[in-house]
Amino acid sequence: MLGIAGPNGAGKSTLVRILGGEETPDAGEILLDGATWSVADRRGSVATVHQEPQLFPNLTVTENLLLKRGSGGPLRPRATGRELQVLSELNLQRVADRPLESCSLVVWQLTEIGRALLRDARLFLFDEPNSALTDEESEQLFGHILRMREETNRIVILVSHRLRELVHYCDRVAVVREGACGAILAGAALSEEGLARELVVGQEAGLSKSAAVGAGGPAGDEVLLRLAGWTHRRRRFRDVEVVLRPGEILTVMGVEGSGARELLQSVAGLEPAHGVREVAGRRNADAIDALLAYVPADRRTGLFPNFSIAANLTARLGIPAVASRWGRLLTARLYALGRQLMAQFQIKGRSARQAVDTLSGGNQQKVAVGSASAKQPRLVVIEEPTRGVDLGTKAEIYHQLRQYARDGNAVLAYCTEVPEVFDLAQRVRVMSRGHLSESFEVADAGSVQDLAAQLAKMTESGPRAFRA
Amino acid sequence: MSRLSFLRGIFLRRLSGLIAAIVVTMIVFTSINAFFLTPINLIGLVRSMSTFTIVAFGETLVLVSGELDLSVGATYGIAAMSFGLLWMHGTPLAVALVAGLLVGVLIGVINAWITTVIRVPSFITTLGMLSLVQGVSFLISNSQSINPPSKLPGYAVFEALGSLELPFGIPIQIAWLAAVAALIAFLLHGTLFGFRLAAIGGNLQAARVAALPIRRYKVWVFAIAGACAALAGILDFSFIGSTTPNAGANLTFPVFAAVIIGGASLSGGRGTVLGTLIGAFFLSLLSNGLSLLGVGTFAQLIFVGLVTIGAVALDRWTTTWGGQTQSLQI
Repeated sequence: MLGIAGPNGAGKSTLVRILGGEETPDAGEILLDGATWSVADRRGSVATVHQEPQLFPNLTVTENLLLKRGSGGPLRPRATGRELQVLSELNLQRVADRPLESCSLVVWQLTEIGRALLRDARLFLFDEPNSALTDEESEQLFGHILRMREETNRIVILVSHRLRELVHYCDRVAVVREGACGAILAGAALSEEGLARELVVGQEAGLSKSAAVGAGGPAGDEVLLRLAGWTHRRRRFRDVEVVLRPGEILTVMGVEGSGARELLQSVAGLEPAHGVREVAGRRNADAIDALLAYVPADRRTGLFPNFSIAANLTARLGIPAVASRWGRLLTARLYALGRQLMAQFQIKGRSARQAVDTLSGGNQQKVAVGSASAKQPRLVVIEEPTRGVDLGTKAEIYHQLRQYARDGNAVLAYCTEVPEVFDLAQRVRVMSRGHLSESFEVADAGSVQDLAAQLAKMTESGPRAFRA
Repeated sequence: MSRLSFLRGIFLRRLSGLIAAIVVTMIVFTSINAFFLTPINLIGLVRSMSTFTIVAFGETLVLVSGELDLSVGATYGIAAMSFGLLWMHGTPLAVALVAGLLVGVLIGVINAWITTVIRVPSFITTLGMLSLVQGVSFLISNSQSINPPSKLPGYAVFEALGSLELPFGIPIQIAWLAAVAALIAFLLHGTLFGFRLAAIGGNLQAARVAALPIRRYKVWVFAIAGACAALAGILDFSFIGSTTPNAGANLTFPVFAAVIIGGASLSGGRGTVLGTLIGAFFLSLLSNGLSLLGVGTFAQLIFVGLVTIGAVALDRWTTTWGGQTQSLQI
């Protein structure tokens, strides 16, 4: 199993698309078993499992598996031995007849794998298949990937940002930098530290926490966010109590479906909930909108694809930042501000006028974070701050968020990865089955492993402990 | 430079393609019939496109906001009809005019309310409204055309609204066209309103995340589209001197064709006033030139339909081919 790692925009996704025959290389050839491998060959024998599965949400899991099959006559196809076998291999029988849109993301990924298996592909490409999965779910996913590797004559390539997985599952890892293969690590050289070092070659920011965590704890008596008896309308969470002061970064963890996501969205006013929601002492929804900025997990829900980088960065602003008192748009000021924010958030694009959807994923994420903080809110509510983002960018985003908290504001974040909590937050609370645990001081954990163990304990103790 | 910032990249390429098509068409028509390029014909051509283009400007705003308004044709008809009836039943001209425009605004506000509050997709809402408004138009007019007698108080003003001739032989309708174009262009490209509107149309979810005033903006957009349609209806009523209950029924095609040929996207977030103007000009040019050549109505309809599809297909092709590297809006 070959791993591919590299910073954002290094060319990982392009490589995957070329191997899959979705894009034509400018030069060079691909050899398989010593012979040139053409696009036509590849289309049949390469199966790509994308970061965002490309499936049919309106069809059931089984129907999704059947779709790729060749002709079976004019009748509606039915699952036969082979499909049923794949369904049971992937433990999908339970959800086989459910429409995909009602299934969790891990089912989507497994369905994509199922489709790949049915095509008898030679090469399996996994392009960050678990970037949106929780730890448990990705372990389940990798279980299946490892089993596939056992079979002979199959090539498995994994593109990932998560070092632990690359080290744990891959035999060799190639580090791609600026369109070229920078290094190949294998055997003893293949370690998280080794990879981390290779990945940040030529980048200013490091990953070490010590450089920045100087972020003091709470300062002053002001309360920036207060939730009391905060309950989701459909009971995804109940009676949540939160107090957040200036300078604080609080992360909430929780598996998919725990209610943690909904909690953050409800704080931003995007999910229906009732109880007390106070931001800097204000309860009025419009006042809260002005004081709070929310960054969604999915970049596509946070950006305007028809806009330039500068327009995206300033889209949350209004009078007087980018418009006159009478509402006239001040384009020159908009671009000046956009350029300034581009520099501040180290967004790598050709110009401020470049269309935002031509940026790489990590840079798009920086635009999303930048546009939220451009509004200069007192409270940032952010879901998975660094989803699908490389190490250097991660460090930059953490730095920005900490800097922002240090300036007397607060951050409420939802994270799915323990190292992220360790690097970013001062306090962490765990949501399980709609109940929010007591908070834990991240500084009390000596290492990521300690923290992970502690968080596991907090999750296990379950709702009863918190209700008392 | 900054004021023309929306005129860049692929949009410029698209417009230049459209302008090239216009030039070629003009050369072809002129070489067959020299009358085509005379000032008289060209002025008449722009006059004839002015009212449907005013409606198309309102529709451009609606499309940029990510919605559709199919009811503009019916609004055009009922605004003229209700204005005429009020006036002929003794309401002072100015009051009747304002009332006619307000009918358009009201229909727009109802469209927006149903779309944003009850959340019926605007396609359905305005499709229903198209039929509903037409029905009401027949109801209030007793299915009769109206033909205001010239002795009615204020008739001279009414007549001047749509048929006055300005210096240099320019019909007043062209002035109305220019005024509405300038107004909507400023609104769409020069104000915070237009900026946010393009954001809302470009990604509704992101607009929600950014806490933009989505509902309020959409109400404005539909109201403006209604007002534009009402104004156009009243201007044509004045120009013709009479109006029928189903006036505007044939407006849907030219309005949408002009907006789409002009580069607006049916999925929202994209569209410019200049593009719509040039799209409308191209359409009128074709109809005018084909009539001059003596091509029959059927052949004209077929040709204009083909060109509309072809223009958008060609644009798709050049976009994919040229690669999309510049943002369209802002």
